Amino acid sequence: MVCCGNPTLVMKDFPTILKMPGEKQDQTLLLCLRLGAFLCFAGWAWVHFYWQAPYGVLLWQNNIFSLLERIGFTWEEFVGTGAGDGWVQEWSGRVGWLFLACTILSLTARNASRFQMIGLLTGSLFLIILSYAKFVKAQYQLPMFVEHGGQMLIPVLLVLALFFGVRHPTTVCTAIIAFIMTFAGHGAYAVGFWPTPSTFYAMTSVILNVEYQATQIFLYIVGVMDFVICLGLFLPPIRCASVLYGAAWGFVTALARPVAGMSPSLNYWGADQFLHEAILRASHFLIPLYLFFLWKKPSSTPFSESTKET
Amino acid sequence: MKTLTTFLSYAIAMAITIPAVSQQKKKADEGRAILAIPEVEKKDVICFALYTVSDGTLKLTAQLYPLAEDDPKEVRLEIEKGGDWVEIAKVDAIHPGWTAPFRVENWDDSKKTRYRVAHGDEATYEGTIRKNPKDKDEILVAGFTGNSIRPTHGGDISRQDIIDNVKEADIDILFFSGDQVYDHFKHYAAWLKFGRDFGDIIKDRPTLCLPDDHDVGQPNLWGESGKISTLNGASDGGYSRPGAYVQEVERAQTSHFPDPADPHQIGQGIGVWFTNLNWGKIDFAVIEDRKFKTGPAGRVPKQGPRPDHILNPDYDPNSVDVEGAVLLGERQLSFLDDWTQNWKQCDMKVVLSATIFCGGAHIHGKASGRLHADMDSNGWPQTGRNKAISTLRKGFAFHYAGDQHLATIFQHGVDEHGDGIWSFGVPSIANLYLRWWQPLEPGSNREEGAPDYTGDYLDGFNNKITNYAAANPETNPAGNILNTRSAGWGIIRLNTKSREITMECWPRNVNIANPASKQYPGWPRTISQFDNYNPPSWGKLGELSFDVEDPVVQLVDAETKEILYTVRANGKTFTPGAPKGKMFMVKAGKDAPETIVSERSTVGSSPRMVSLMEKPQKNLNSKGPHAD
Repeated sequence: MVCCGNPTLVMKDFPTILKMPGEKQDQTLLLCLRLGAFLCFAGWAWVHFYWQAPYGVLLWQNNIFSLLERIGFTWEEFVGTGAGDGWVQEWSGRVGWLFLACTILSLTARNASRFQMIGLLTGSLFLIILSYAKFVKAQYQLPMFVEHGGQMLIPVLLVLALFFGVRHPTTVCTAIIAFIMTFAGHGAYAVGFWPTPSTFYAMTSVILNVEYQATQIFLYIVGVMDFVICLGLFLPPIRCASVLYGAAWGFVTALARPVAGMSPSLNYWGADQFLHEAILRASHFLIPLYLFFLWKKPSSTPFSESTKET
Repeated sequence: MKTLTTFLSYAIAMAITIPAVSQQKKKADEGRAILAIPEVEKKDVICFALYTVSDGTLKLTAQLYPLAEDDPKEVRLEIEKGGDWVEIAKVDAIHPGWTAPFRVENWDDSKKTRYRVAHGDEATYEGTIRKNPKDKDEILVAGFTGNSIRPTHGGDISRQDIIDNVKEADIDILFFSGDQVYDHFKHYAAWLKFGRDFGDIIKDRPTLCLPDDHDVGQPNLWGESGKISTLNGASDGGYSRPGAYVQEVERAQTSHFPDPADPHQIGQGIGVWFTNLNWGKIDFAVIEDRKFKTGPAGRVPKQGPRPDHILNPDYDPNSVDVEGAVLLGERQLSFLDDWTQNWKQCDMKVVLSATIFCGGAHIHGKASGRLHADMDSNGWPQTGRNKAISTLRKGFAFHYAGDQHLATIFQHGVDEHGDGIWSFGVPSIANLYLRWWQPLEPGSNREEGAPDYTGDYLDGFNNKITNYAAANPETNPAGNILNTRSAGWGIIRLNTKSREITMECWPRNVNIANPASKQYPGWPRTISQFDNYNPPSWGKLGELSFDVEDPVVQLVDAETKEILYTVRANGKTFTPGAPKGKMFMVKAGKDAPETIVSERSTVGSSPRMVSLMEKPQKNLNSKGPHAD
């Protein structure tokens, strides 16, 4: 079992990957997870350093204030005065460094280093906290938390792949759960089980240049498809097609943010506003891609023969 | 098999986690508003009705509960004549939103009229169309904003105190400046609830509801002429919700407004509703300070953790006043320019909009959430803000607004402190989001005995402002959930006889008729209509004495021909204020400034008698004007 990846492998190798021998295919599987974790952490590090991570909704609470008062903090010390940063701003910045460290760890982590893997799991914990904060901010809409499954679990997946192996049932099951969370959460919004986020309509209308009614139909269809591909994972004849669709759709939805929002008329073409939104969603297509490579059988050459040839 | 076992283990873990999360959600739900459309009997299918009357046209919109498929869609408007109900209009209810907008021309506004809206055989809803109160000396306009219905902010507390006070004071006009609805997805359900809460006062008096950001389903709104916003928070400009949703909102809240001044649609088929309402000899301009405004994201250099927030107090304010950034837009500025010159059948002018023309708060959200500047305010873009104030002061317009969740009185400045219009931003009905006016330094030129936070300031965009009052919430609000959070409402009393404007700011659940009831500190405050354009550096031209009451006077720069202002004088004399060291043409007339009174007046020029009655009025282009 191969437990470390080859970062030099790139997407242009895609056609040949399908015919790769097992060892190289394992490297590809790991690369998917490494890239997913790397881009997810990089995107969130950008949010921490350049914008503002959504911890405020969890921290700026009266009960937190009461707790702080009991342990001797003042509110000003905690949230700042505006003229100066408080504990919240200082620590939010420091968490950014953690995300940056995890970005590097995503590329360098080896199964021999427990320290690196603990670092990645800590990163995952903070991704869970961020997802929970977004869930609270969205007035406790369950899909808001669930659809972040891919982002929350991608570092865990990488650690599992390093520790147990890319084909280990624990790794595979975690990937399946991450896939289902991402697409079922998204589908629940798109179908309208919870109020469909405005950005879904907006991005669809802008990119496809269609009216509201057409957007509604489109979102309903892709929402249903989100659930269909989740079920498809459990039906061997269509699971490869399901994850391939998931990879394509995850890629499109991640890219939709910059495509819909960027414009030459904006400073830096709006890249600083929108690009990280695509980057931190990389797990939405790289986890399905991992599953696709995992389940895709070498097309014509039997595994044993190809091994022999090499 | 091993994979399946592992997956099942995960499934069990999830089965435990999800109910735990749901339990958390249940706890959160306790603090949330229940927003459902109640099932009503056929006879109660009309929820409420809103109307305005302007220039002889009645516009009334009836708001219905959902109609069943087999229900008739036709809705009728009837008025009482000689004890009988007479049908005067009928329309089909429009879905989505189930609104029935009526338009009746040649309306006689000289008398009170009972009306009823009828649907099918059973449902009726009655109210009164008031007579135009031209004969009243004082017109009362109640101002509201921020109608949170969440229990955590006191939103679930009855509005009966407001209903009782409005009836007791016999308010002439209701002005809801925005955020009548906070639910971003269920405007219809929330609007019906708004109607159930306020319908009892709305049905009997002209009402203006300005849809603001939350009404159209987003936290902030920079409309950018109907663009589609794709950024969370919408600071890239445009509307987050689909155009059809925005249209439904505007149909519900504004279809009873007087016809728009310039009805061309904007992007996504969204209409416009900026207009004017002349009622009780007060000319109200109703403007849209969000619809055309540019979004800051990507347009201005980043100055904080959000594209619309500036945290760095040392930033260069000029750097965000970027070329091409729009506030009101040319269409509205052009309308306002005409509006300030038109004094037909009006003595005073008031502009109604969502928010005030400055950064009017320092602390946002929670105590210590200090922002240097917020681009959601009308303080940005500065050029657009200055254009708006420079236009509005030409008509001595008083500004009435809301949005900030913080009641304030400001006088705005353009070239110097105190050279622009006054504004009163009213407090929220129930305060969802707290803000504080808490400058770090005491203001300069404060009135004697006034609090430190009053006086002259530069806001976060370097706009000149003078604060006269602020109803700050308590630092850590507790107890009386409405008033510790500075909830309340406002009244302006517009006295057409004395030309005075009195601002009142009332907390919730007090009887305003009781002399013992106290307003928020800083209120009431009375100013003159003429304070809305009275720069401290100006001098006075010679006094003009007329042979007619209340003529309209206009001051024009003799060199540039730019109109400085137009106003209806109070009585038979008027002493025009004017910048020193320049020459001015003065025009006057009974209802329009058609006669050139003087072509070259300067500060300190001698008084003069002007006859507007005996001589035939001169044409604007006529030659041979008088000269000082």
